[in-house]
Amino acid sequence: MKKLLDIAAKASDQAEVFSVRNDSSSLEMRNGKPSDMSASIQSGYALRILKDGRIGTAYTKNLLNREELVSNALDSLKGRVEAGFSFPGPSEIPESWLPDDSISGMGFHDLHSRSRAVLDYLSRKVKGQIDVNSGRGILDMSIMNTCGLDVSRKSSFMYIFTSLLFPNTETSVRKFFQSRKAADFPVEELDALADLYASGLPEVSIPSGRMKVVFTPDTMYTIMWRLAAAASGKSFYNRVSPLQNRRGEKVLSEKFTLYGDPSDPMEIDQHFFDDEGIPARKHTIFDKGVFRNLILNLDYASKLGEEPTGTGYRGGMWGGETVALAPAPSLSCSRIAPGNVSFEDMIRSIDRGVIVLGVLGAHSGNILNGDFSVGLDPGFYVEKGEIKGRVKDGMVSGNVYDVLNNIGSVENRLHDSPMGGQFPSILLDDVSVAAK
Amino acid sequence: MIDRLRSMISGVEADFIDIRYEIKTETRIGFAGREIRNVGSNRTDGYAIRVGKNGGFSSATVTKEEDVPRALQLAVEGAETIVATGGKKSILADVPVVVENVELVLDGDPREISIDDKIELLKKYNDLMLDQPRIETTNLSYIEIGREKHYVNSEGTAVSEEILTTNIAGEVIAKRGSLVQNIRVAIGGADGYNRLLCREDVFLKKAEVAAELLDAEPVKGGTYNVVLSPMLAGVFTHEAFGHFSEADIIEDNPSLREKMALGEKLGSDVVTIVADSTMPDQIGYYAFDDEGVAVKPVTLMDRGVLTGRLHSRRTASAFGEPVSGHTVAEDMRFEPIVRMGTIYIKPGEMTLDGLLAELGDGLYLIDGKGGQTSGENFTFGAQYGFKVKDGRIGPMIRDINIMGNLFTTLQNIEAIGNDMELSERGGCGKGQLNIKSALGSPHILVRNMVVGGV
Repeated sequence: MKKLLDIAAKASDQAEVFSVRNDSSSLEMRNGKPSDMSASIQSGYALRILKDGRIGTAYTKNLLNREELVSNALDSLKGRVEAGFSFPGPSEIPESWLPDDSISGMGFHDLHSRSRAVLDYLSRKVKGQIDVNSGRGILDMSIMNTCGLDVSRKSSFMYIFTSLLFPNTETSVRKFFQSRKAADFPVEELDALADLYASGLPEVSIPSGRMKVVFTPDTMYTIMWRLAAAASGKSFYNRVSPLQNRRGEKVLSEKFTLYGDPSDPMEIDQHFFDDEGIPARKHTIFDKGVFRNLILNLDYASKLGEEPTGTGYRGGMWGGETVALAPAPSLSCSRIAPGNVSFEDMIRSIDRGVIVLGVLGAHSGNILNGDFSVGLDPGFYVEKGEIKGRVKDGMVSGNVYDVLNNIGSVENRLHDSPMGGQFPSILLDDVSVAAK
Repeated sequence: MIDRLRSMISGVEADFIDIRYEIKTETRIGFAGREIRNVGSNRTDGYAIRVGKNGGFSSATVTKEEDVPRALQLAVEGAETIVATGGKKSILADVPVVVENVELVLDGDPREISIDDKIELLKKYNDLMLDQPRIETTNLSYIEIGREKHYVNSEGTAVSEEILTTNIAGEVIAKRGSLVQNIRVAIGGADGYNRLLCREDVFLKKAEVAAELLDAEPVKGGTYNVVLSPMLAGVFTHEAFGHFSEADIIEDNPSLREKMALGEKLGSDVVTIVADSTMPDQIGYYAFDDEGVAVKPVTLMDRGVLTGRLHSRRTASAFGEPVSGHTVAEDMRFEPIVRMGTIYIKPGEMTLDGLLAELGDGLYLIDGKGGQTSGENFTFGAQYGFKVKDGRIGPMIRDINIMGNLFTTLQNIEAIGNDMELSERGGCGKGQLNIKSALGSPHILVRNMVVGGV
């Protein structure tokens, strides 16, 4: 990295090298049997140079020729892409967690035995197909720049994701568990999943209409994608955000608080700097319904005349090759603040409504405008506080700025979401449900 | 390269080994509004390895050549663990050993076009959209992706093939007050740069529709009879039916395998669906898949009867059906999985006016805005649509998402148009991105679809 930075420094005003190495493996168990085991050792290098107020970029996964990478970045300068920012200098970064040896040394057999334990436990409680996916990984990333920044972090993780399929379908209820070190799926979570599965076994037809709807943690990304798009510096700079000129206004229910907190000690991916080396700490977007802050990377912070918010990450809605993606405004380690109602009491409070346990099509529709229209995969119908079964062919639709102004209650506990972040379930009072 | 790959896998104790080395090149240019946001050309490479041993099958991918031995070791360990833990037994269907080097045929090689000319072309289309009334901004990109693939397996097959796709794609955004509406746009293909030239009409039309959407009314949720445009019917074909035709999707679900048995009458008499990646000039075109098998056209459904399926060598063996050459990876970071290339509904005989007359009252829904499937349930968004009354097109509607059940919907397809359109951009995300997922259809008439609305 240092050699690459030195070569780039000679050809530019400022230069930055980002590198990443990811060592991971995964196991898939379909219908009770191991069906796929795969491993991956991937690396990558991304170079950004600033010269005469312009930015040039280049990347490679395999650093065989440093001069070629610098040359690609210099060619990129010819596009005359403006950059009004400088790379950050050195800063005090706290120590983050070190990779746990139990993950480093975890082999296929270990993944299998932990997955098998989940399978065996659930098999004693439910009839039907059980799928279990598991994996482990070690991430090692570094950023160096010519302004003196030299930071790196390593992290380790493992996960187990289990699905209970309803008979003759691919529709399932699911539960996700992750840990920084080797661990088993908590049995109380599996008990709750088995109970949920049993309550959704009957298939019910319901009439279309407006009713109460619960978004559960696994489906909260439907709402998060829309709010994050609107709060992004990119949308503000391009003047297309529905939140434009509304900072400081109460735009959602006072029961709704959204923030990102990479420094949370309970966070699996705890970190203290973003992918541009800016210190990352708790960053609140909505505080009791009031729109407080934008999500910015260095570029949009500069364009909008704001301070960077430590929320510039190399990633996209669908993942992607880290080094190929430029840092973009993104809320990492997102949280919706918990409320004061248990999930069970929330369901008991519903006279007529739907619990959304999985969605199809969260990426469809007019995301920027806050519109959503998602298929239930599955959704459970509730009447007089009791789950009656899973809805046959249903959709819930609305606009996040409407439905989040009608929040009935927020669950008192946060859950890990397989799509990232920790969220409670949220009961929305008046949402359109279409069904056959 | 082929000889180097052969030597890398020699001496490994396994029943089957293959290795794929790829050099991936990308050129991307992006505009956000009138501002150029990124310009760059990059080149990278890597290796994907698969091992079969005693019926176990496993894979590993690595970036660096020095990690190839470790990848082989991990893949062998994975295959052995599958056997030791009573996992799924994998046998590969027999295929001919081939040694081929497939040349790239292009109408205009984008690699010979200067970056300045590419920027100028992109800027021309971008400015054209931005100059239209009520258009607030755009996101428009030029994307050129090349994969130079070299594949070797322990059976003696050695295939080199280069594929190159070029696209100009993005969205145009109209705004009035706090109301924002967007429409997606994409042109391109796998047959060269010249396809991108002289396409002003496409961008102009999309900008006009985005502006008109500001006056459209949100659709009311409920059950409707609908006419789907070719692109939207293509999304249905891909999302709902196509994924179910990928053998790996249904392989481990016994009840779905039973439902999808060849010979079952699953659709109405008017529905015939074909997967054909041998069609030249389409973005879904390729000669060999990523396990060295020549791709073949497959009639998946013939007049409502299920007649074929898309396979890897492993799933073909497990199902006892013919290999089809549909095992494709996004790039060297991934093991290949079963993928559609070009999939479409075959044209029928009715004109669009005839379909609308047959519809009577309902909705005419146009162009896809993403879709997703989970087993037999699917959902997909429409970019816009119109109410239809007595067969006549009425007011424009927006915020349209459709949900349905594959089997019910296939039976509810009542009529097929005599037109035909194929997409110019892929982008299916089944665990990994497939930029060569072409889809298409004529207009089709479907009864009783659930439409989510506000």
